[in-house]
Amino acid sequence: MRTMPTDACLDPYVRCALSGAAQTALGVSDSAVLAHAPQGCNYLVDGAFSWQDCDYAQTTTLCTKLCEDEIVHGGEELLARTILEAKELDISALFVLSACGPEIVGDDIVAVCEDMQPKVDFKIIPIECAGFRGSQYDGIDLALDAMLRTLAETRPTIPNSVCLVAPHANANPTWMADLAWVKDVLSRLGVQVVATLTHATPLSDLADVAAAEGVLQLSHDAGYRAVAYLADTFGVEPLCAELPLPIGMTNARRWLTSLGERFDAEPIAENMIADGERMVTETCRRRWPMARFFYRTPAAIVADATIGIPLVRFATEEMELTPALVALRSANLDAERLLERELNELGLAPQVVCGTDVYTTRRSLEAVRPRVVFGSTIERHASEGLDVPYIFEVVRPVRQFRLLNREYFGYRGILNLLECIQNEWSDRWRSTQRRYAARW
Amino acid sequence: MEPDERDDIVFHGTLQQLVEKVERGEMVPKLQASHAPMCKFFTSFYVISGIRHVVPLVHGPTGCPLWVSDIVRTRECCEFRGVPLEPTACTSLDETNVIYGGEGKLLEAVKEADERYHPDLIVILSCCCSGIIGDDVESVAREAEKFVHARVLALRSEGFGGDFRSGYEDAFELIMDLMEPPKTIRKRTINLIGARMGPSLTEFSDDLDEITKLLHEVGVKINAVIAGGCTVEEIRRAREVELNASWCYDWGQKLGDAMEARFGIPYSRTGQPYGLKATEEWLMGIARPLGLEKEAERVIREETERIRPDLDYLQRTLEGKTAIIEISEFPGPIRALSLARMAEECGAHPVVINVHPYTIKERMPSIKFLLETGVNPEVILTKGLFRLGSFRSSRETERELEGIVSSFDDPIFFGNAARYPGCPVVNLTLLNPVYLPHYGFRGIHNIAALLRQAMENQRLPRSTLFRGMLYGNETS
Repeated sequence: MRTMPTDACLDPYVRCALSGAAQTALGVSDSAVLAHAPQGCNYLVDGAFSWQDCDYAQTTTLCTKLCEDEIVHGGEELLARTILEAKELDISALFVLSACGPEIVGDDIVAVCEDMQPKVDFKIIPIECAGFRGSQYDGIDLALDAMLRTLAETRPTIPNSVCLVAPHANANPTWMADLAWVKDVLSRLGVQVVATLTHATPLSDLADVAAAEGVLQLSHDAGYRAVAYLADTFGVEPLCAELPLPIGMTNARRWLTSLGERFDAEPIAENMIADGERMVTETCRRRWPMARFFYRTPAAIVADATIGIPLVRFATEEMELTPALVALRSANLDAERLLERELNELGLAPQVVCGTDVYTTRRSLEAVRPRVVFGSTIERHASEGLDVPYIFEVVRPVRQFRLLNREYFGYRGILNLLECIQNEWSDRWRSTQRRYAARW
Repeated sequence: MEPDERDDIVFHGTLQQLVEKVERGEMVPKLQASHAPMCKFFTSFYVISGIRHVVPLVHGPTGCPLWVSDIVRTRECCEFRGVPLEPTACTSLDETNVIYGGEGKLLEAVKEADERYHPDLIVILSCCCSGIIGDDVESVAREAEKFVHARVLALRSEGFGGDFRSGYEDAFELIMDLMEPPKTIRKRTINLIGARMGPSLTEFSDDLDEITKLLHEVGVKINAVIAGGCTVEEIRRAREVELNASWCYDWGQKLGDAMEARFGIPYSRTGQPYGLKATEEWLMGIARPLGLEKEAERVIREETERIRPDLDYLQRTLEGKTAIIEISEFPGPIRALSLARMAEECGAHPVVINVHPYTIKERMPSIKFLLETGVNPEVILTKGLFRLGSFRSSRETERELEGIVSSFDDPIFFGNAARYPGCPVVNLTLLNPVYLPHYGFRGIHNIAALLRQAMENQRLPRSTLFRGMLYGNETS
């Protein structure tokens, strides 16, 4: 049964379009982001800063700090002045992002950026991304759209090459490791990555993006529009478009096989699959994870579509759980169709919620009463009193601090997920009280 | 080099002189893009979420509530503060609502919030979107109250509508609408006002615990800590007290004045209880009007005796020294100025570094109050404070700080361990709970302990790892 919250009162998981656009702009290296917004919205940009794993020594965020005066009389002049202030920064691009206030009062950031362009040495890229335009995923799409339309140029196609889209629309708290795994795999298959949209992306890569032979979308939540634009405008071929991302044995195998076939590198792909599967099995044999006796225990998956959809198969096949609830943070028709295909193939009929909010999640958990939840810290608290013994915190926000990136994609990704499950399993066995005190 | 000979100093004078310059508009930063503190919406939200069983219902898109709710749901909520997961609801305004208005959606949202969360209070918080399109949140609140069990109030908290101070001041003023005429006056009972301790990222509770303990020892009862986890029922009965006292003068002052003017409830005006004299003043300021002077004197005597070794150590160590207090690296500018007073009381010469003119502007009433009470330290502002970009600003101010410190004899730095000034560093961060509280007598004990570890370990090497992380690998 598929449901979707349509209520007026929402307690949402995902932030607004401004936040998503900032996440995307901050993925371009050697640039700065200027929020044309009241000062509070700048905190969303700061949040995006950590999402893109930015180094604050190299990336600067600015804000026009709009007050009542600019809302009444317009803030274009202030924006122009602030762009000039940024002249002292050593950057190659300045992304100008507009928030709700200036867009409603009609500030034309595109025109201001055009006017100011001759006066500065860096490229100015306006992105109209007011919060009311949609969710953070819509913001990612708006920003990618602005970047591609402004910067992408027709180039001769580079054989055996791809561009990567929306790696940051992924709720793995250290999604950069997923991206790194993809790049490593492509390199081993002899495939060149022309551009990544976006993470530590040089501005010049954005101009070259259309030279790619294929485009790999690394999210089920965002990036569909960018893939379509690249395909329609430049003839870049979408790859692995009908497959869940490579989390778990089957998904990884299918994904690698598809890439191997496309780039005439089947033997390499087959070797990678064989080595990977062997490594996972042998590691488990050596370390002997005890958290493997969940046989057909009802489980809930509450996550973004990027992690949530592939997790369905991982939970069902690797962990032998039975997904009873799949609640996705985003509502996207392409992702929903993919999920439906997966469920049909696996013969599962869980409750499905698309675009869930925290309240709907709580009510769904209450109705389904799973014994295991794949989710975040939010579900840990939201399932209080519902007698859910295991909450595997795999998507942002998680309690455990990670200093090193951990991927979920690929074969080490399987081990990372198993480690997370094992640790939660061990915690569940901790005794909360001592039966007697030691004598020393 | 003497401080005045340095070309990286943009102001050197007293706090009073700086305040005068800010009032004349001379020190207002030219760089619009630098230094962006919280907006009005944030501080309104923080205060309102300090009331139990309240739904702060944000009338706006999803971005506004989600900055605060990320904190409510993770670090601060059930993990640190022992509170349950609370809703951070919003009407999720979209383009259609912006064009056609969102009042109908808001009314429905209030009804849903009441049905879902069973709150005692729903506070509608408007933000930039709803404010600009002119949604009448007050009328919707009045209308909605007819359909729901909870009280419904509305607060105009558009981010562009004011600075962070106006947000909490308006929120406290709104809370006053919940206060009912007193049925009785409860003897020796007070409200502690100016707190914001809900699930959201605000203050840590250790200082509040210390002053609450002292008040109980004196025999003072507390009706409510507003808004530090108080209930709507406690707010309703807030006019039954004999006195209001502030937990934080900066945040409490407006509510204290307003309750005095509107309800005639006296307000004890004292600074933060940092150090012996300020703690005595704070406690006596409450005990005296309640007729509990003798009890308070006894508590002060006993507590003072208990921490006598700490007081002696502070006096002995700080006498004749220069206390360099860097506000931008301190847990709050008013706390830093309170510490300047404590340092002076212990015989040191306080020099306050880098209090941003924005901070002076936003906290003008509190800073003027501190000036009235005789807190008027020497102040130095450096160029780095006005640099564009947080990394550039902090790297430059670090370099400037190191230079300034070297120009003083016997300096001791009061700030946090993220600075490397080449002198003893008293690490007054609030992020090390081992040395909290800073308020009251236990605060004196903790600050003495922090000073002792700074003095005794000053020759140990500092972390090149963390220094490199903060400022890059070459700063000097």
